[in-house]
Amino acid sequence: MFHKSSQGKYWIFASEDDVEQKRCKANQNFRNKMLEGGKPGVSESKLLERHEEEVLIRHYEKRMVDFCNAFKPVMPKSVVGTAIMYFRRFYLNNSIMEYHPRIIMLTCAYLSCKVDEFNVSSTQFVGNLLQETPAGQERVLEQILEFELLLIQQLNFHLVVHNPYRPMEGLLIDLKTRYPTLENPESLRKSADDFLTQAAMTDAGLLFPPSQIALTAILNSASRAGLSMESYLNECLRLKDDKETLSKMYDSMRRMKTLLKKYELPKPEEVNASKKKLERIHAEFSSSSNKRKRGYEEDGHVAKEPRLTEDEEWTDEDLI
Amino acid sequence: MDDQGCPRCKTTKYRNPSLKLMVNVCGHTLCENCVEMLFARGSGNCVQCDTPLRKSNFRVQLFEDPTVDKEVEIRKKVLKIYNKRHFDFPSLREYNDYLEKLEDIVYNLTNNIDVENTKLQMEQYQKEHRDLIQRNKVKLTREQEEVEELLLLEQQGNEQRRLELLQDEQRQLQAKRKNKQALLDELEKSQLPATILLAQHKVRAANLETQIEKQKQAVKPTSLFSTGINMRQTVSLQPPPKIEEVLYHYKALQVETYGPPVPELEQLGRFGYLNHVRAAMPQDTAGGYTSALACHRAIQDAFSGLFPLKR
Repeated sequence: MFHKSSQGKYWIFASEDDVEQKRCKANQNFRNKMLEGGKPGVSESKLLERHEEEVLIRHYEKRMVDFCNAFKPVMPKSVVGTAIMYFRRFYLNNSIMEYHPRIIMLTCAYLSCKVDEFNVSSTQFVGNLLQETPAGQERVLEQILEFELLLIQQLNFHLVVHNPYRPMEGLLIDLKTRYPTLENPESLRKSADDFLTQAAMTDAGLLFPPSQIALTAILNSASRAGLSMESYLNECLRLKDDKETLSKMYDSMRRMKTLLKKYELPKPEEVNASKKKLERIHAEFSSSSNKRKRGYEEDGHVAKEPRLTEDEEWTDEDLI
Repeated sequence: MDDQGCPRCKTTKYRNPSLKLMVNVCGHTLCENCVEMLFARGSGNCVQCDTPLRKSNFRVQLFEDPTVDKEVEIRKKVLKIYNKRHFDFPSLREYNDYLEKLEDIVYNLTNNIDVENTKLQMEQYQKEHRDLIQRNKVKLTREQEEVEELLLLEQQGNEQRRLELLQDEQRQLQAKRKNKQALLDELEKSQLPATILLAQHKVRAANLETQIEKQKQAVKPTSLFSTGINMRQTVSLQPPPKIEEVLYHYKALQVETYGPPVPELEQLGRFGYLNHVRAAMPQDTAGGYTSALACHRAIQDAFSGLFPLKR
């Protein structure tokens, strides 16, 4: 359960700024490492800025979600949620310049299949990379297995992720049972589901407990339908006398909604510009700095500049 | 079966059951025939690693993995130099550190890591501690001798006891035989009726039996246990001192869920929660599943951490 989990203990942060700070620090660390490394050709301008990183993270995250949604057999929502959470947690302390998000996202999805007991074999998994030839799938699989342990280590071995989907079910059951005022709780489900899907793409999972996210989803859905559920909070959740908790909860809900509103997919031009930079960084600098990277160069996934277009093909169409 | 074989002539245990594998200091295997052939002049190089070897250093391979043999050999050598013992150190910690160092050396030499330095380190140690090594060596041999002496004594004792037993038995047999002979003689010569003679004989035989029994019981009491502890040593029979501690008091576990209270599993049906979840199929219940379990978990998850943490 969440209240005793590593997620509650280590992976819920107090504020949006804390999270942002951690990411900035990861970015800065990698910059420092590169600049101190004294490799020829390294300069500030070639490295990615924090906001460029964010663009790419969002881009690849969306790609991961698309991949998961197109996955056959159909992937349960909680597996996708766990994968996204892994991805976000990983890039909280690491820079995409060090570990390429393309392979990390696949590794996250692969690992979350295992952890969430969604049983697919590794060959079946890479079989979903439709644009790849069988040999290419084999290569990707090798890379996934290579990065899997690194990912687990960077997650600090905290592999259980509590997603808001089950809490939402629980809340719906509770609503049906204890809150007859609400006539048809099932009608809230559709829009609440949408809310959760959106929330998964934001930092909400790093800032709020899953049960709060689920409650917000339901309240949000209710208010859209023009229903007020204040009495549910007051009576059933016994918050009538605890004004402090209540106001805090409204506050978190507001923050969550702002997060969702702020979320937008990065523009394709931005993505392309940043991606070019990223590919260059990976091709030029990090391949020899890190042994793990060796696979990339041999594979030719990170192509030299003339082959960049070919590489794009791999990255953009393979997954769907 | 994992085929063990000679890497040079490729003979395996399967094909030649009398194959004898030998191993030398470098830890590479050769069979006996190859050793005879290659080292006919008493010395030569290892086929696999080119280390110069002597024929006399070849040993029969005792373990399946030749590196184990190599390690045993090396350990023997190293232990000759590093022969300090527990009471040569002021604290257990230092003794353990010393043992650790020793293991490092053995490991390095076995796996060919930094061999030069390790050997140098050993030589230096040997130079620095020559006296101590010599003293410990002497001590060790003396102790070894004492143990051997004890073993010898024990063996002698056993032998003697066995002889005594044998003699005893012989004597008894003789006595019985004599008794029988006496009966026959008397029956031949005496004027008394045979029945009386037989009765007399029976009494005598019974006497003899009891005597033998007595002798058997009167075994010399030993003064030592087999462990070497004196039997007459007084052993304190007092119970070990009792340690008085505060008794353990059970306290019910308090779980802070940071959320509203969750109804108990048993109450779910009564409160009507179960009307809103899919009923369990008969085949699901075989494994012990009930719809209440899933329902309870969903509600627990829904309420856990619902209220903001008080930081």
